[in-house]
Formats: sequence, structure tokens, C-alpha cells
Amino acid sequence: MIRGLWNRETVALMLLAAYLPLALFWLWLGGSEALGRLGLSVLVVAIWHLVFMLVRAQPPSLAALTTALAVAMLAPEDLGVLRMVLGITFGVVMGELVFGGWGRNVVNPATVTLSFLGFGFPAFAWPAFDDPTAWAAIPAALIGVATGTMPAPVLAGAVLVGAAAAAGGILPEPVLFAAGIALVLLVADPVTCAATTLGRWINGALYAALVALFATGWAGAAPVQIAVAAALLTSLAAPLLDEAALALWIANRRRRHGRT
Amino acid sequence: MANRSEMWRTLSDPLIRQNPVTLQILGICSALAVTTTLATAVTMSISLTVVLTLSAGLVSTIRRHIPDTIRLIVQIVIVASLVIVIDQVLQAYFAEISRALSVYVGLITTNCLVLGRTEAYARHNAPLPAMVDAFGNGLGYSLILILLGGLRELFGKGELFGREVLPLADAGGWFTPLSLMLLAPSAFFLLGLLVWVVRSFYPEQAEAPEHTPPLGAEPAE
Repeated sequence: MIRGLWNRETVALMLLAAYLPLALFWLWLGGSEALGRLGLSVLVVAIWHLVFMLVRAQPPSLAALTTALAVAMLAPEDLGVLRMVLGITFGVVMGELVFGGWGRNVVNPATVTLSFLGFGFPAFAWPAFDDPTAWAAIPAALIGVATGTMPAPVLAGAVLVGAAAAAGGILPEPVLFAAGIALVLLVADPVTCAATTLGRWINGALYAALVALFATGWAGAAPVQIAVAAALLTSLAAPLLDEAALALWIANRRRRHGRT
Repeated sequence: MANRSEMWRTLSDPLIRQNPVTLQILGICSALAVTTTLATAVTMSISLTVVLTLSAGLVSTIRRHIPDTIRLIVQIVIVASLVIVIDQVLQAYFAEISRALSVYVGLITTNCLVLGRTEAYARHNAPLPAMVDAFGNGLGYSLILILLGGLRELFGKGELFGREVLPLADAGGWFTPLSLMLLAPSAFFLLGLLVWVVRSFYPEQAEAPEHTPPLGAEPAE
């Protein structure tokens, strides 16, 4: 990376570029209703970034747009303005901004928002995706990997395990689509995925394995619900995976070179 | 006069500034478990305050006769006897609430708050100040419990003390209950937010940062 050009906002812009195909296909198929959801999410997230800039002098980030897009695409349908605002407020403030803004958060704010909405309002239906939107996740992942903003090992690990599961016939198509979109939007986040290469491989594989597990063992769950739950658990496990990868590396070095 | 103002400070300090729950994070287990409704929260608060005050008085009265080596056993015996009395009273007169509280009244015995106050304060002070201190801590604990219980019952069911406050959408009103509020995580969230609020009014309570971010390592964010 060229020093001076790459800072936090460049990464956020590249991520946005990667999400463009996904967002465009979703907006094209979703029409004005999708546009309204996106507008509401952007507005609420932006207001909270603004509040934290004014109160705590935290620089706002363009990553707010990626959060808003993920929430607008994956949140349960027909929630109404008040519940959406409540969920996004909780997710963005408790998931990201109290930790010091984008780059210091432990979990993806969109994942927190979606889990909150899912647990808090279980009566509302989760969205379903048309084929073109789901396929658009592939160019999104490619752009992300090409610009180096999405962790390639996470995507590779998830695709590997996911392909195996799909070949084994335990991943029905709707779950596969939802899991792919959630993989790009929530799991392959450069901030909250694991940071070591080995940890990232396991991170991706764990996500796909959890999706497969939920798809077979969780009766009555919607595809997006399965994907969001897997994403939440995976992001909580990410620091552990890093710790394990580091411990392994240190043990290897001790074995080769004696005392460290 | 000086004595009276000191007594007043002992009583009022643990309410917010030295609150046992938000500052010392003591008694969390019961604070999370019994706050789904206001009624259980109030019952638990009263039980704990009574046990705490009486045990502090007893321990303080015999403080010169307790051998140091077995002091914890003696304190626990005193606390446990009081807890059993309270539990019996609840079972006799408030059977329903007693069932809702299940084991948590019994667990007052091992509540860190009770042992903490008897161990740290009652063992070194005369009965009256010890009881005042224990009563103040009990009130501080009650304040948090009642606040959490009220918020959780209000937003989780639209009720307070089992009486409808916010008309539910199912019955033709406008309020859709947040079922998350009745689950344990919401108590964590609310308690965390409460600690945040208290610490933004008393910045000296905030813990020192563990890490300092590197200065100027990145070009203008």
C-alpha cells in the first residue's frame, strides 16, 4: 500500500465501490421501497456519526454508508420508522461509536443492529432476495479482494466450506443466497474479521459451517436470520481465532528455535 | 453536628456517587436476574436492604469477639440466618412473588454486596454507623434494581406493577412490546448504559485507558 494515499477513508471508499454492484441490483429490483429504507438507514447512521463528532470529537467515517446499506438490505421488513431508528441507534452506538469509531469496533455495527432487530421484534418477516441480487455478491467480493479491502482468506474459507456443504446437499438455495450476501456485507469486514491469515481462513470456514449447521438444525428460521446469527457468532469468535493462530505461531517458533 | 453530617454522608454517598452496583459492580447476578418485573425488583430490594442492615448491625455489635481467622464463617452464618427468616416471611405472605424470585432470595447469602459491607465496614465501625452505611448501600442497590425493573417491565410488557401503562398494539393501542427487554441481555445493556450515564456525570469514576492510540501514525483521518 502506498503510504499517504491509504487511510481509513480510502478503505471505506473502496469498500463502498465493492458494494456498488450489490446495492445497484438491490435498488433496481427493490424500487422506491428499497430506496426509502436505504435513505432512512443512511440518515440515522449519519446523525449518530455527527453527534459523536460534535460531542466526542470522533471523526465521522464514510463506513457509515456501508453500515446503512447492510442494515437496509438485511433488516426485517415492514418494521416501521420508529423500530428501525431504535435498532440502528442501538447497533451503531453500542456496536461501533462507543468504542471510538470505525476501526476500533469489535463487532460490525450492522450485525449488532440486525441481531437486535431480530431478537427484539421476532414477529416481523425477514427479507428474501431475488437471484440477480445474490449473484451480485460475487462481483462485490471480487472488487473487494482486488482492492485489498476485503480479506481474501475469509471469503476463500467460507466459499470452500460452503461449496462442500452445498455439494453435500445441506444448503438449500435461499440459504445459500442469503449467506452469500451476508458474507460480503457483514463477515468480510476488514475491521471485525480475524486479523491473522490463519485466523481469517478459520473465520470464513466457521461462518460457512455455522450457516450449514443452522440450516439443518434450526427449524423455522428464515435464511437471512440464519446468516445474521452465524455472522454474529463468527465475529464474536474472531479474537479467539486470532489468539489461537498467534499461540500456534509462537509454539512453532519455540519448537524450531528453542526458547523464544 | 459534625457527627450528624458525617452520618448523612455515609448514608447518601452509596446512593449514586459510590453506588455499589454502578461503581463497584457488586450484586450484578441478582440485579440482572430479578429485574424482569418491578414487583420482583422491589421485593428483592427490600429483602436485601433488610438483610444487609441487620447483618451489619449484628456483625458490628460482636466485632470485637469475632476471631479474625473464622470471621467469614461467622459473617456468613449471621447473613444466612437472616436470609432464611426473610425467605420464610416471603413464602408465608407473598407466595407468588417468592416463586417468581426462586433461588435469588436464598442467594442473598452469597451476594458480594452483603459480605463486602460487613467485611469492609461493619467489622471496623460501631453498630450505628455500620447500620447507616449498610442501609445506604441497600438503598443504592434498590435504586438501580427498581430503575432497571421499571424500565424492563415498562418497555417489555407495557406495564408497571402488572398494571397496563402503555396500551398494547394487540389490544388496540399503539405500543408494541420489546420482547428483548424481558431477556437477560437487555439488563446488561441497560446496566451498561446506566454506568455510562453515571460516569459521564462523575468522570473521576471512569477507569484509566489501558492503551493509548499511536499519535499521528495515520495521515489525517
